[in-house]
Amino acid sequence: MPTMTYLEAISDALREQLRADERVFVMGEDVGAFGGAFKVTDGFVEEFGEQRVIDTPLAESAIIGTAVGAAVVGMRPVCEMQFADFVSCGFDQLVNVAGKTHYRFGLAVPIVVRLPSGGGFSGGPFHSQNPEAWFMHAPGIKVLAPSTAEDAKGLLTAAIHDPNPVVFLEHKHLYRRVKGEVSSGLYETPMTARIAREGSDLTVIAYGAMVHAALEATEELDASVEILDLRSLVPLDTEAILTSVAKTSKVLIVDEANETCAAGAQVAALIAERAFEQLDGPIRRVATPDVPIPFSPPLEQAVLPSVERIRDACRDLLDY
Amino acid sequence: MPAETFSTTDVVMPQLGVSVIEGTVIRWLVAPGDEVAADQPLCEIDTDKIVTDIPSPAAGTLTEILVNEGMTVEVGTTLARISTGATNADRAGGGEDARAPGEDPGCAPGWMGPDPTGPARHPAEGKRDGATAPSPSMPVAGGAYHSPVVQRLAAEHGVDLASVVGSGRGGRVRKQDVLAAANGDGGRPLHIESPYRPDAEPAGQLSRMRRAIGAHMKRSLDTAATCTTWMEADMSRVEAARRGAKASALLGITPLPIVARVAMDALREHPALNATLEGDRYTRHDAVHLGVAVSLGEDGLIVPVIRDAHTLSVEQLGVAIRELARRARKQQLTPDEVTGGTFTVTNPGQFGSLMATPVINQPQVAILDLEVVVKRPIVVSDDDGNDVIEIRPQTILGLSWDHRALDGAQAAQFLGALRRRLEAWDG
Repeated sequence: MPTMTYLEAISDALREQLRADERVFVMGEDVGAFGGAFKVTDGFVEEFGEQRVIDTPLAESAIIGTAVGAAVVGMRPVCEMQFADFVSCGFDQLVNVAGKTHYRFGLAVPIVVRLPSGGGFSGGPFHSQNPEAWFMHAPGIKVLAPSTAEDAKGLLTAAIHDPNPVVFLEHKHLYRRVKGEVSSGLYETPMTARIAREGSDLTVIAYGAMVHAALEATEELDASVEILDLRSLVPLDTEAILTSVAKTSKVLIVDEANETCAAGAQVAALIAERAFEQLDGPIRRVATPDVPIPFSPPLEQAVLPSVERIRDACRDLLDY
Repeated sequence: MPAETFSTTDVVMPQLGVSVIEGTVIRWLVAPGDEVAADQPLCEIDTDKIVTDIPSPAAGTLTEILVNEGMTVEVGTTLARISTGATNADRAGGGEDARAPGEDPGCAPGWMGPDPTGPARHPAEGKRDGATAPSPSMPVAGGAYHSPVVQRLAAEHGVDLASVVGSGRGGRVRKQDVLAAANGDGGRPLHIESPYRPDAEPAGQLSRMRRAIGAHMKRSLDTAATCTTWMEADMSRVEAARRGAKASALLGITPLPIVARVAMDALREHPALNATLEGDRYTRHDAVHLGVAVSLGEDGLIVPVIRDAHTLSVEQLGVAIRELARRARKQQLTPDEVTGGTFTVTNPGQFGSLMATPVINQPQVAILDLEVVVKRPIVVSDDDGNDVIEIRPQTILGLSWDHRALDGAQAAQFLGALRRRLEAWDG
């Protein structure tokens, strides 16, 4: 199996789908001639042509609206928001049109909206956000957030095949930092959680970049810590969450997103409701406080959940 | 003092472990004249590195203290006396400790009550406003909150939570404690709370633990003819097995339990190292009671012993080491758990150390030192006999040994056997 970065795995999934299915096309700002702001679609326009690799104006509402129309007539569009933050401009098309069309008209909208998300590189308040929870709150949309190269390819493939609108969060911090063996063939990763490390004393639930922070934070701890990588936020793998909590009885949930109403808040609510009699300690959360992400590197590092904060929270729970 | 005339209970220096013969009174927590409840901690006893609270054997009034703070006495010595059956304050008004802060005990400390098992007959009773002597019991932590899982498991297993000694923060009963109690594993230490308290000693003065460690180490160096031998080992197979352990029981295991397991196999080949030397008496041991050095951070170091460690698998050793380390860091070890070792391993490699000269844990004759595993270019021969440079995870195995009991050849042969087994390790 070839070794790929997280970014290369995403490119690989797109390229394979473009080759395999003529209904698939990509569109977004600078995805064609420039190869994408992060070079995910580098070389695509040369291979697949301008009809299938479409440079669009700076108009997210138009990008998603066009994708919805194309999907309704049988295409499989994959849109790129240059930064996840800008999806807010396409909010109505995504939440009200794409998410509700099946319910209103019985029409499937098989679109994928790729959101390069997350902070950690001094991108400031407009280029660092983690907006996944907005879409968890909008019925009709699936929300995926892989943490490994293998899952990035498999989940993007599954997203393109899925008949529903799918928001695909690809963490920018992982693009070139995370590498792994990735099958060169076509495969789908199920939209379920994955045990990143097995353990028995404490469960840390995370997704995206925070999976790696959680693994690092607990590597040297003198305890058996289970790391659950959610991978999919909608659908949420409640069974995997409840099984792990039943095993360890203590749980820490890590979000890079702002704390209030983040994905982890939903996970915490689920555990409180369905696993109350399994708990041997408070459900703890580590998340970014409810502030915009600062430009200043030290300030940014202070707000993002650090390995140290996660480790301290783990120690606190283990001692409880 | 008419003690013999009345019913009294002696507080004696308990046997805190089979190997313990004496203890030092560190601090009295009560004074003569104080009322004490059954099981209330009376004083702190230090046996080497372990500090233990001595619980009151009965409810009553502490009448006299016979062993002052700082004195070391043998097991069985009477430390104090308690007059049982009556208390020295009128507590008719309430069930809780009626002695307000600063209140002077209303009765002479020498006053003795009657046997609590019989009706109160002592003439002094009349002076006590006719109040029936209350029977103080261990104050139950009335507000103790038990977590949902603890309550559920206690109900399922019929465990009385009031009788479970909690190992969580502030003595909280944890899930593990209920499960241990349910498994009949309740034979925990004699103390009620954590036996160890960080010293609040004046700046510049070594803590009690530091002094104990210092005395041990100095005694070892003064006693043994300590030599250290090192050998390099290729940890490729060990590291590969650890990496490859995706879902097996080896998952997340450190090299320590693997090296410990292999070291005990090597000890079978070289039993001269699994031995103790006391004076001129050299004793080889069949069983390996394995000491594992556990750092307590700034507090110091303690070496809990895994008894019959040679019977344990790598996975079981991993669990045992983790559990002992956890309890060591929580100061929950009993004196018996830190004595009786026949061989010791120390693992400074976990902090990145490359080489050390560990001090032998007396009266053992050798201590194995596990160092950091680092990738290094080394020369190996391929199948055709050509020398090639390869990247291999290497470590340095160190062994400090006592030249009075052993010679360098035995130390090197043992390390060689250990290396051979590690390099051929197949889980």
